[in-house]
Amino acid sequence: MMLSPQEEVGQRIEEALRLVIDPELGLNIVDLGLVYVIGVNDSGGARILMTTTTRGCPATSFLKDGAQQAAIAVPGVTSAEVSLTYDPAWKPEMMTSSARVQLGFGPDNDT
Amino acid sequence: MVGATLSRWSMSYFAVALACLLAGEALMVVGFGFPSAELRAPDSLVLVHLIAIGWLSLLMFGALFQFVPVLVAKPIYSNTLPLPTLALLVVGLTILVGGFLQLGGRIPALHSCFSPAAVLLGCGFALALWNLGRTLWQARPLPLAARFVTVGLLCAAATATLGFVFALVLDGSASGPPLADIATYGIPVHAIAGLSGWLTFTAIGVSYRLLAMFMLAPESETPRSRAVLYYGTAALAVAIVGGTVAIGMGGHPTAFLLVAGLLGTCALSLYGADILHLYRARKRRKIELNARMAAIALANLAGVAVLSVVLVAASQFEDQIGAIVFLAAFGWLTGLGLAKLYKIVAFLTWLECFGPVLGTTATPRVQDLVVEPRAAKWFWIYFAGVWSATACLLLDAPEVFRASAVLMLGGTTGIAVEIARTRLLLDVRPELRILHLARRPALLASQ
Repeated sequence: MMLSPQEEVGQRIEEALRLVIDPELGLNIVDLGLVYVIGVNDSGGARILMTTTTRGCPATSFLKDGAQQAAIAVPGVTSAEVSLTYDPAWKPEMMTSSARVQLGFGPDNDT
Repeated sequence: MVGATLSRWSMSYFAVALACLLAGEALMVVGFGFPSAELRAPDSLVLVHLIAIGWLSLLMFGALFQFVPVLVAKPIYSNTLPLPTLALLVVGLTILVGGFLQLGGRIPALHSCFSPAAVLLGCGFALALWNLGRTLWQARPLPLAARFVTVGLLCAAATATLGFVFALVLDGSASGPPLADIATYGIPVHAIAGLSGWLTFTAIGVSYRLLAMFMLAPESETPRSRAVLYYGTAALAVAIVGGTVAIGMGGHPTAFLLVAGLLGTCALSLYGADILHLYRARKRRKIELNARMAAIALANLAGVAVLSVVLVAASQFEDQIGAIVFLAAFGWLTGLGLAKLYKIVAFLTWLECFGPVLGTTATPRVQDLVVEPRAAKWFWIYFAGVWSATACLLLDAPEVFRASAVLMLGGTTGIAVEIARTRLLLDVRPELRILHLARRPALLASQ
């Protein structure tokens, strides 16, 4: 299936966001499920909607700025805006299965 | 910004606090104060206040300046007030220690130290409580953990106020009832307000949030956690308000303290059930050293409760109060404090050094700043010392107690060195240190 240019840039942004780790869990924010939406418009403007594992976390501003810096460095991105939301609040179930394995989720705790 | 920023002076609080803990343990090693002297002897009071104010209160304030904003998702009211607050508390404590040394005849008493110490410590506590209180006030309605902290801060105010009265009576600035009565009979109330209210209740509140946060455990207000808050608050109100009023009216606080003990036991039992649930329901199965050592500290808190009940049943409570207070101060509060300090310093150092370059290059994890197997050894040495020392107190063996204190001092020194190594990034692999990009941390302040 052919991807639109915006979708391609969106994928590259997602890949770039893997450089940003949650320092406490040690995994990147994409695999942790902290990135809710990545949108790119026709002129290369990127908008990212993300959250943090806990509201009020001291790392919040660093994670937000890190996501912005990673996105703006992607070729084809002319501007990057990152917004935070806590609706819905992040839950461990939002992680990818590989992230869960890395954090040692037992099979009984996987739901 | 949603959330918190870095507390600039928390590292200074932690450094001074650790220095006071090491000094206190060194005094126990050389046989200064309790148990070589009576619990209420001036030398013992030096030791008690070095630990209660110098170690535990400074540690708690340093942590709260960073984590109250996390609890309420609002910035701290003032990020500059903590420095003058620290100066007032340190100078006030130094002079207070001088006052106790005068009282014991160890230094000349040309001018009494108690009134100036009371004023300086009173101002220090007032500034800290004002800063934290304003932060909490602007975040109403408060989440559960923050309500525990609010009650804890009110108890800190009560503890400091009673201490202020004692100091004025001790150097003769105040006399006659009811202040003289409060100074004579109010010491148990002062100790309960400080140890159970300010330090334990605040630690309980923070533990609900931090343990859930670091172990990915479900975080929710339940009827049981609210019951812990209500029973605990009732226990503290009965002990502190009831006890002080009883003394002020010429009576004795014993009946109030017994009722408070019953209510407090209910609160602790429910809290224990909550904590067991938190550990069992955690999503993060491989928990870090800080959470494992916090579990040992929590077991020590349970030990304090069980020991108290057993000693009351055996009519030995008053005779063994020193052992109970010791286990509470060193097994529970200091154990938890050291475990969380080990984590907090790594976390804050990571934020300060690597947070600004996030998204531009690969960064280490917080766990890459520490070497847990090495630190674990020091924690076990510390706890072995505490258990052995508690047994010595129960068995009235002060000489063996000093050998146990050597273990505690050795363990704490090892943990302090590990924390300093973390702060200076000495254990980060060179390829991950990226110091050409990251900030190099200052030892005692955050930028």
